[in-house]
Amino acid sequence: MTATAVTAARVDASGLTDIGRKRKANEDHFVIVSLRKAAEVKQTSLADPSVFDRLGGQECLLFVVADGVGGRAGGAIASETAVTALVDYVGQAAGCVHNLDVDREHEFLAQLEGAIRETHRRLVAEGGGRGMGPATTLTMAALVWPRAYLLHVGDSRAFYLRKGRLRQLTRDQTTGEYMVDAGVWTEEQARQAPAGGALFSALGGDDLTVAVGLVDLQPGDVLLLCTDGLTRHVPDDRIAEILGRPADASSACRELVDEALKGGGSDNITVVVARMQG
Amino acid sequence: MIQKKVCMVGLFGTGKTSLVQQFVHSLFSERYLSTVGVKIDRKPMEVDGVALTLVLWDLAGRDGHEDITTSYLRGAHGVLYVADGTRRETCDQLPELRALVREAAGEVPELLALNKSDLKDRWQLGDADERTLAGAWDVVRTSAKTGEGVEQIFQRIGRAMLGPKEARP
Repeated sequence: MTATAVTAARVDASGLTDIGRKRKANEDHFVIVSLRKAAEVKQTSLADPSVFDRLGGQECLLFVVADGVGGRAGGAIASETAVTALVDYVGQAAGCVHNLDVDREHEFLAQLEGAIRETHRRLVAEGGGRGMGPATTLTMAALVWPRAYLLHVGDSRAFYLRKGRLRQLTRDQTTGEYMVDAGVWTEEQARQAPAGGALFSALGGDDLTVAVGLVDLQPGDVLLLCTDGLTRHVPDDRIAEILGRPADASSACRELVDEALKGGGSDNITVVVARMQG
Repeated sequence: MIQKKVCMVGLFGTGKTSLVQQFVHSLFSERYLSTVGVKIDRKPMEVDGVALTLVLWDLAGRDGHEDITTSYLRGAHGVLYVADGTRRETCDQLPELRALVREAAGEVPELLALNKSDLKDRWQLGDADERTLAGAWDVVRTSAKTGEGVEQIFQRIGRAMLGPKEARP
């Protein structure tokens, strides 16, 4: 297992990835990054140096999970490329997450979406330009308290737990979901169909649809990003039970991963848990 | 490029997401999945020869609008209210919803989409009800299923947000 923990003033966040029981390699990646524009006055003759406080900025916590698409060459490379490129972008653009009025907020989201599209183009080019090269899912949340901005491609998922109720923030971009939406298949047919779990959208894949959204979080909420290695084996009510315990984020990650392994561990498992502290 | 934030508001299940899906992606699904938080879609369009991008904030509907997260409404340039003609209560609660929205977003251009016009046989509003609504709102009948009125509501809110032609840059 590979674990990373970041504890910010308001948020206890941790991530964990595990190869699972069946796969020969772990093609998942995750990252938790804390970004803050800082201005520290070292020395001044001014009576009130707090006038420079405005130069500092609010912290932006970035959470990302990515699942390299199985059956294609370089799934692990694709998920690594996607995570790295996105963090690189947000790191360079850190200044734009401050004082987010409506226009800046839209600009921030458009630029994040642009970074995802650029990574997609890069992966497609590496695969020979036909969408048959390395591909990956990507689910990210950028938290500028209390707002979590979400961008999502593929079938990894984002959830949040509030007052014991787990709500899914993303929809799987799979053929099964698409066919059910189009009224062609029933949900049961989608579950049974061999192609039901195939992605219709992935970074580096044939097609890319970037879903964008946001949610305002509250103290006590828990945010979860995960790959399908978790959700294949652990039902939502069990996830809610684990996240609802007053354990730290690191313990919750370990328990979620252990639960997926107990359920069979048929795929790589990656989770990122962020607990909003009151 | 001019960008305008439009918030879609209304009670639970009135068809806000379906209207956005129909307008942005030309898709309609019978399947109902409630929105959690806010879904954001962008739609470039042209209004009276002016290029405009609508940034559509599809807010989760509520059974009681006291739960609407008003912070999502701040900075909206326009608000599209959606009511379901087959559920009278979605219209009855509009005045209170409007007061809540105006408190958060101010008095910005607004429009009421009276949705699910394809289900006219299950309509719970009479002609008199619709006339009363029309006295208080700019109302357009819509159907996310057939597409009736969908392009029209976004064109109209877009035009209202741009303001009078003579005042445009």
